[in-house]
Order: sequence, then structure tokens, then C-alpha cells
Amino acid sequence: MTSLSRREFIKTSIAATTAATVGLPVTKAALAQAKAAEAGWKWDKGVCRFCGTGCGEQIATFNGKIVAIKGDDDAPVNRGLNCIKGYFNGRILYGEDRLTKPLMRMKDGKFDKNGDFAPVSWEQAFDEMERQFKRVYKEKGPAGVAMLTSGQSLIQEGYVAAKLMKAGFRSNNIDPNARLCMASAVVAFIQTFGIDEPANNYSDIEQADTMVLWGANMAEAHPILWSRVTDRKLSNKKDIKVINVTTYSNMCSSIADLEVIFKPNTDLAILNYINREIIERNAVNTDFVNKHCVFATGPYDIGYGMRPTDKFAFEAEKDTQKKQLVNKLDKYEAIAQRRPDMAGKDIEHKAAATAGAHWHITFDDYKKALEPYTLDFVAELAKGDPDESVADFKKKLQQLADACITKGNLMSFWTMGMNQHVRGVWVNELVYAMHLLQGKHGLPGNGAFSLTGQPSACGTAREVGTFAHRLPADLLVDNAKHREFTAKQWNLPANTLNPKIGTPIMVALRGLEDGSVNFVWTQTVNLFQSTPNSNHWLKAARKPENFLVVSDSYPTLSGKVADLILPTAMIFEKWGAYGNAERRTQVWRQQVEAPGEARSDVWIMLQFAKRFKLKEVWGEQPLAGLKEDGYPENKLPNVLEEAKKMGYTEDTTLYDALFATAANKKVAWPDPIAKGAKNSTVDFLGDGWFVEKALFEEYRQFTVGHQHDLAPFDKYYDDKVRGLCWPIVDGKETHWRFSEGHDPYVKAGEGFNFYGPLMKAIPSGNLDKVTDPTPKPLPGKAKIFYRPYAAFPEQPDSNYDLLLVTGRILEHWHTGTMTRRVPELHKAAPTSVLCMHPADAQKRGIKHNDVAMVESRRGKVKMVIDTKSSNKMPKGSVFAAFFDEAVQTNQLVLDAADPISAEPDFKKSAVKVTKI
Amino acid sequence: MKEINRRQFIVRTAQMAGVAACIGVVWQTMVRGEARAAANALRPPGALPETDFAAQCLKCGQCVRACPYGTLSLSSFSDVAPVGTPYFMARNIPCEMCVDIPCARVCPSGALDAKFPDIEKARMGIAVIDEENCLSWLGLRCEICHRVCPLSNKAITLNIVERGSSKHAKFEPVVHSEACTGCGKCEKACPTEQAAIRVLRPEFVKGKLGEHYRPAVDGHFQTQTIQNNTDIAPEYKPTHKQKAPGLEYFNQELPEGKEGRP
Repeated sequence: MTSLSRREFIKTSIAATTAATVGLPVTKAALAQAKAAEAGWKWDKGVCRFCGTGCGEQIATFNGKIVAIKGDDDAPVNRGLNCIKGYFNGRILYGEDRLTKPLMRMKDGKFDKNGDFAPVSWEQAFDEMERQFKRVYKEKGPAGVAMLTSGQSLIQEGYVAAKLMKAGFRSNNIDPNARLCMASAVVAFIQTFGIDEPANNYSDIEQADTMVLWGANMAEAHPILWSRVTDRKLSNKKDIKVINVTTYSNMCSSIADLEVIFKPNTDLAILNYINREIIERNAVNTDFVNKHCVFATGPYDIGYGMRPTDKFAFEAEKDTQKKQLVNKLDKYEAIAQRRPDMAGKDIEHKAAATAGAHWHITFDDYKKALEPYTLDFVAELAKGDPDESVADFKKKLQQLADACITKGNLMSFWTMGMNQHVRGVWVNELVYAMHLLQGKHGLPGNGAFSLTGQPSACGTAREVGTFAHRLPADLLVDNAKHREFTAKQWNLPANTLNPKIGTPIMVALRGLEDGSVNFVWTQTVNLFQSTPNSNHWLKAARKPENFLVVSDSYPTLSGKVADLILPTAMIFEKWGAYGNAERRTQVWRQQVEAPGEARSDVWIMLQFAKRFKLKEVWGEQPLAGLKEDGYPENKLPNVLEEAKKMGYTEDTTLYDALFATAANKKVAWPDPIAKGAKNSTVDFLGDGWFVEKALFEEYRQFTVGHQHDLAPFDKYYDDKVRGLCWPIVDGKETHWRFSEGHDPYVKAGEGFNFYGPLMKAIPSGNLDKVTDPTPKPLPGKAKIFYRPYAAFPEQPDSNYDLLLVTGRILEHWHTGTMTRRVPELHKAAPTSVLCMHPADAQKRGIKHNDVAMVESRRGKVKMVIDTKSSNKMPKGSVFAAFFDEAVQTNQLVLDAADPISAEPDFKKSAVKVTKI
Repeated sequence: MKEINRRQFIVRTAQMAGVAACIGVVWQTMVRGEARAAANALRPPGALPETDFAAQCLKCGQCVRACPYGTLSLSSFSDVAPVGTPYFMARNIPCEMCVDIPCARVCPSGALDAKFPDIEKARMGIAVIDEENCLSWLGLRCEICHRVCPLSNKAITLNIVERGSSKHAKFEPVVHSEACTGCGKCEKACPTEQAAIRVLRPEFVKGKLGEHYRPAVDGHFQTQTIQNNTDIAPEYKPTHKQKAPGLEYFNQELPEGKEGRP
């Protein structure tokens, strides 16, 4: 033993722990050796940094470093397993080019927009950041500044960011990258159920009979969940059905009983066909529908979430942009939308500004709306593989309907295919309709389950509410009662909070270009690589009036166009919490210290808050376009007088007013739950309160009694706890929401109660319009929406003749900021390739592995052509991942978005591919 | 000195090493092909069997120059292959499987088949998996070898099985030698510290059944084949010159103290 080096110790024990994890026989000697090797190690629970699955991990630290990671055997999500990204979770902290010092563009010892980056002190960084923020704030008010955050931000970070922006700076211009990922799902949840987030949980996989994937390459994007789906399938190959409904053949098809390749956007038509069949086959669960549902619809001509003007468009994209205002209805849309005489004619997108409006309709109207969606019509419209016959496709649609209309248990799963969709809210709602018509939701093995992409898209972005329209726990900024409640929680004078919804990510970035936003601060996000049509913002960021701050732990493309780069601590270098897709909140302690001068985002924001006095932000502020009861027009009122009555002074800092409150300062550090762990945020702040705990407890008060009940902070740190699924009432988790016996908010005898409080009174009308504007309440009920088929705006033409789909691959996370720092992952997938049908490649004189030019109206890049990928494209479509900075796939992508959710559609851009 | 690029330099150095080696025993073994390359020193596509390859190869380095990816090297003295012969190590730079096989096309000696028809028919090596250290076999979702394999689902397939102890299936990669070209992309991409999938030359991997036995294929024994292939079945040649085999034994006395047969 003694002769073993430390490195060998580590290797032996990793092998032994891995082996123990998977139940392989390990020799006693090896085990003894491993135990000795681990003698100095400290193991603690943690969570995977990557996708929304939320796998539990155990982390070993030794001498201030993370030395090993293992899947947590006790974690119900992953039972000791990880995917290849999780395997390297500890390594992502140790890339060679971690940022350790603030970097600012400097010339002659001071900030210069055109200077080169140079290391500066935190003091210098904050000085300039403060100066720039105040310059813009003074000139443009709260609307001129924006903070863009992440579904990977920790719960506490999201809470600090939201409070600082909304209560402190009185700006709702805060939006997370979940806008690019989950926003359509969010709106659909709220419109359908009145409350955000899934009703079901992962254990439904083990109870489902039929599992349908709608636009989700789960095998790559949710690897561990996919191994659960696969295991379920193997447990009974004959009776368990897995169906892959997708626009191209992918890894999921390998175990699928049925693969349906459809033309993009026709998922709307397919779902309407199934829902029509449910009625035709008398499979409606009438009792459930009568008791618990109403029918609803909304306007059709809602545009495509593009700018209404071509002032900023590149010459080549002007023809696409025009469609925001007017475009031709194609023959299928005309039939599907019951206005066949309009085929080929121009329609104006008059409802673009009221896209989210909706109203009651009758069941008869609903039935009438579905009439056009016959098998023949939908088969002709939706067939996505030119090499497949209509007859074969028709058979598949019938099989799909047979599987979805079932007496057995039915689960639907989806991700970006349905969320990143110009009609994303609509298509989400049609899946809910399919489940609700049959009464199959919120029950074990039955439910429509929107999977999240990011580790805390739910926990932070959605639950804390770091969106432009949200406050914590599903409260909304444009709701007077919600603002009042929030002001009380936060101890704010009335009318401090801004009632006008802020800028979603795309609008904030467009703002850099059109001059409406001049100060942008990004955290844990690389938007200048990830957003569509990025060439616009890459250029705009460098305009002299704009100041861009990028907080990140590694160099990114966003940093390249920034003015100030702040080095941040990563996941296990700080205390934190994430919430996954099944409402499971999971926590960890700080395990190691961040390198150099890197600091936690919480510390950075709190330090920044210290630089603002109330008189600078709570005085009167300009706010163009504000018209709201109780507010002066175009202004946020001066609330300083009232603030004084509440005990604040004009010179109280935002740090003291919002964060280091008397109550919070009582939550003292050190705390016994730390069990010896450090807290660098507290250490660097230096005033002795346990920031993460105090803020979590403060945030928790929003959730308790509001159907979002979180458990006390300490409960999550219990050694036996592996995350808890909210609402947690009387110490008990909730695994299925809305159904009696599972959800504490549903009373005995109710059966179901869709108690979500939002959008629970709507006008009434017919399929075309509102006929009675009086809001009619629908307490406890869910809405079954009719939404029509609509085509996407940028159809391939003779010039841009291919359709580009972008997405993720198994090996890399998002823009590769972390995973590309792991040499093994980089080696496994070094570049983003363009997956293409071999015949399409051949037609262009291109061979597999050739480099070709890929060009859209918005940009062009060179890519390696892959005709042999596991993503098998139908002719006419190509796929590329977006992780590769060298390729920058998303610059090609059209920034059309769902007009209701403002989530861009990354899946439908016309491109051409040429040989070079 | 005339400008030469790095590749040319390497080739020339190796060639000079080859020339320098033209002495005594080394040359002898080299020419006769007695020096053996290491198991993981892979030959270019279309190479003769290893026993003939080193003898046939002129050590000219043309294949090395023709390779557009820098995959091939000429071995020098301390290398893993006989001096002057071309080889590649999968973990360093694997073969990209060019459809036009430029390395083989330029071979003047026949050591590489200049007319080799189809890169997918190449058998440079065979991938073998260390199931004890393969992440996918351990239950993790890795499968990188399967994903990078140019003949994915033919050369490497995923055997998907229930994990038993939990609710997560395992995706076990399995190599099929009838399709594996030995290009080495799997070994290159394998994310474990030491590759858990390695490509070795076929003779180091392939076992061989006795000629007398035909295994079951899809549950059916191919007994027919055996009956019809008398040329393959070993000829029966009795070695005993006795009148009748066994006589001697049967006629021996029983060993002392034993009853019946031993």
C-alpha cells in the first residue's frame, strides 16, 4: 500500500467506487486498497451541472480539489448512473483557461471601448460598471438596462438577480436563457392549468404503457431519462410502446416501435388529427372533461415574433422579415383554418400584439374546428420524408392514433422540438388537449410531461421568476395584487415595482442594435453564440453607446464582444440549489474554492448593490409607454417619501434595503449544517450572515401556502434527503399534482382540481372571435385548446433550398463553454458537423467528411458534412449542433419566435450548402 | 537547405534510418519480415498479411506522404514496427477512411493493394472492448465509440439490456469483426484515461474455431456444410500399426489391489 502514489490511490478508488456502484464483484483486496486510498477524502452530495434531468452525484474532495465524482446510488433520478457529461462533472472546474481576474477594455490606464482587455481589480471593475450603469439609467431609466441570466443560475442567484433588478432598479428587463428553451412550455402551462411546471414525475416512466416523444431527442439530450424509458421498454417488449414523432430519424428510433417523420410545424395538424379521432372513436372521458375542463381558442394571425420593421434587417433577410406583417396563406393552412377561399391570398398579422388572448368556446365549436383534420388531409400535409409513400405514412398516423387513444397509461414527453417552434405554445397545448380529453394527466403513468433542458430552468428561471414578466412563485409583474403581495414580502413602498413587462432576451439584444437598451449584463450564459441571428448583436455590442458586462468562468464568444468580463465561481465553488423538471429541489454545500479572484455571482451582485443609494433608483423614473392604474403616465413614481416612513433613508444602499436586512442578518454564519464546509461568498462579503440560507428562507415565504411550498433550507441538507418535490405540505412531497390522493391542494371528493390561479377568467366567443367580453371564471378547471395548423415563415426556396434544424448532442453542453474544456469530450466531438442525407450531399458534389459552405440569409459558415450520423436526415433537411464556437451555427438561424412566448424557433431556417 | 515541410522531413528521416539499417542481422530480419510490429501498430488499408508485408514493402514512404490526415508514419529504430514500414496508432491519429484510399493507390510495391476496391472492406485492425472499464458497459450513458464509428450500427452496435438492479437500461457497445475496418476512431475518441476500446491487428484478436466444428447460426446447426465439405474435414489417418487398436491395453493384467477397471 505504502508504495502507491496519490494518483494511483485516486485511480484505484475511482475504479472501486464505480465498480461498487454498478454492483460488479470487487476483490476484497481492491476494496481495502480503495478504502485506504480514500482515507483523506470527504464525500458530499451534489447535483449534475448539466441537463434538466437533475442526476444526483457524490463529490469527493481532498486537499482543496475535487478528486472524484460518482453517481449517487441513493438518488432516485439516476440510481448511481451518469452520462458522459456527468462523468466529467468534476473536471469542468479545472480547465486551463479558467478566468481568475476581472478583465476590462483599457487604454492609458482607464476604460476605453476600443481598448484591449487588461486585468483590473474588482474595485476598478465595479467603478466602471457603476459609472456605465448610472450613465444609461439616468438617460433611459429602467428600460435602458438589462440583465440576462440563465436556467443554470442557482436558485439564490436568480433570487438576488430578480430582487435587485425588479425591486432595486425597478426594471423588468431581466430574462433568463430559459426564454430560448422553456418559455413556450411555461406559457402553455399557465394558459392551460393556471400554474407553471409539470404535474408528473420521472417515476411515471416505470408505469407508462405508451410513451410518445414529440420533438425530443431524449437519447442524447436527457441521457439518463432515456435509459429509464429504454429499461421500461425492455421490461415488456410486447406491450410497452415507445413512439418517436420527429422531423428526422435519431437515436431514439433505435428502440421505438414506431417512428413518424413529419414535416416541421405539422405536429399541430397531427395532434389535431388525433384529437379529432378521440372524438370520432368515442374515447372522450366525458365525465372528466365535463367536471374539470373547458374549451378555448385564440386568434390565428399572430405573426412570427420578428421585428415589425426591416430597418435593421440585412438586405437578404428582408423578404423573410416582411412576413411578420403580411404573408400568403398556403392551401393547407387555408383548409386547416377553415378559410379555404383564402388559399394563396395575403393575410395581415393583425393579432400579433394580442397573440396570447384566448376565450371560451363550446364543445361543438371545438368539434367543428377539428373537422378539416382528416387522415387523408393530414397525411398529405404532414409527411416529412420524401422517400416515404403517403400510404405508408397514413398507416403510421393511424398507428400513432391507435397508440395515443388508449385504455392503458399514456405519457407524452417533449423538449425543444415543441418549445422552439413559431407556434410552440399552441403545440404544447394540443398535447395537453390530447391528455385532457382522455382524462390522462397528473396520474401515475399518465401525463403530458414537458422535459426541461437546463438544470435549474424550473428551480431558478421559472420558480424564482427571473423572466421579464414574472415575480417569485408564479406571480406576475403586470398583476396589481401580485405586486402588492411582493412589495409586502420585500418591504417595498407601494408602486416601487414596475408594472410593465420587460424585455425578453431577443428584444433586449435587438435593443442593443436599435438603441433602446444600452447596458447589458449577462450571467452564466453565452448569448452571443447561442441566440439565433447572432451576427446582429455581435456587431451591436460594439457600438460606442453600449456597455456589455459578461460574467462567466471561461472565455466565451460573448466575452469577446464585451467591455467588462467578470470571473465567476462555478457550481461546487459556492453553496447552491437547483430545481429539476420533476419539481425536485436539490442542494449542495461549497466543496472547493474558486481559483484566483473568481467570485460567486451572488457576491458580485451584492457588491454591485452596495453602490446604489435609494435616492438614485426610487425617485421618479422615466418609463415610456407605461399606462397603469395608480401610476403617473410614462413614469414610475417617486417612492422615497414612503420609503422614509418605512424606516429607510435616501442614502440607504440597495444592499442594506434589499439583502442585508435585519431579519437576514440574524441568519448567522457559521451554521452547523455546513459540517465544516466553507462559504466564500460570506467570507468575501465579510459581515457574517449566511447569505444563501437567509435568501432561500426569504424566497420560501413566497411559496408557502401558494401551491409551490418549499421545505425549510436545512431540510434539504439532511443526509438522507436527495432533493424534494414541491409542493411540500406537512413535510410531505407531491409527486403528482392536481389529482386527489396525490396533491394536498386537492380536497377529498374533488377527484381533480386544476387550481392554478392564473388566467382563470376569460371572455367567451366562437372559433373566430370574442362575442362576450365579460370574463367568465373557470375555477379549478383546465383548458382544452383548439389551435390550428400554421406553417413556418421561412420555407425553403430555389436558392436557400434546405431546412436547417439545430440542437444538442450527447457529448456537449450548450455552447461548449465547459464541455469543450474537457479534452476527452472535445476529442470525442471536436466540431459541429452538418448532418445531411447522402443523396443531398451527392447532388451538391459533396462527400462525407468534406468541408462545405453553409449559408443562410443571415450568415455563412464552413462545416464538415456528415452523411453517416445517428441523426438521419430526410432529403431536404440538415441538422447541426450549436456547441462549436468555431462554427457558430446559430448565426445562420432565423430569429422568428413564438409570438406568445417570445421563444425563438431554432429548428426552421432555410439554408443552402455548397461545395468549396 | 531546400525548404521541406514537416511531413517530408519525417519521411526522409525514417528513410535514412532505413538506409542506415542496411547492415547485418537487422536488414536480414527486416527483409525476411521476421521483425514483428506491435499489436497496436496498424497497417494502412489494403496491406498484405503482416508476415508478407514488411518483406514486400519498399520503405519508400509514398503512402505516408499521400495520407491527407497525417495518420501514417514510417517507423524508425525505436518504433513499434519494423524499421521503415508505414503504420499508425489509433489513439494518436486514426484512419479517416478516405473513399479514394490515396495511401494504397500510390504503393509501388504491392505491399498495399493499389487497386483496393472499397475502404469499408479494409481490415487494418479490430476493435476490442475492455468491458470492465468501458463506461457504457458500467451503465453510464457514453456510447461515444458507437457514435464516432464510421460504420456505426454495423461495426459497433449497441446491445441494449435491462440493468436489473435499477430502472435504467444499459447500452453495451459490441464490435463486429465482419464490419470493423480497424480505422481506430473509437479508440481515439474513447474518453476513459486509458482507452477502454482498442484496435489491434486482426491476428492479435481473432480466434479460430477447430475446422471440425461449425457453430450454430441463428439457432440452426450447419451440419449440411460439414457433410458436403469433405475437403475441409480432416482426413482420418490411423497412427497405430497394431492389428486392432486397444488390444494391448485390454490384454494387460489388472493393477494390483484393484478390482475392475481403474
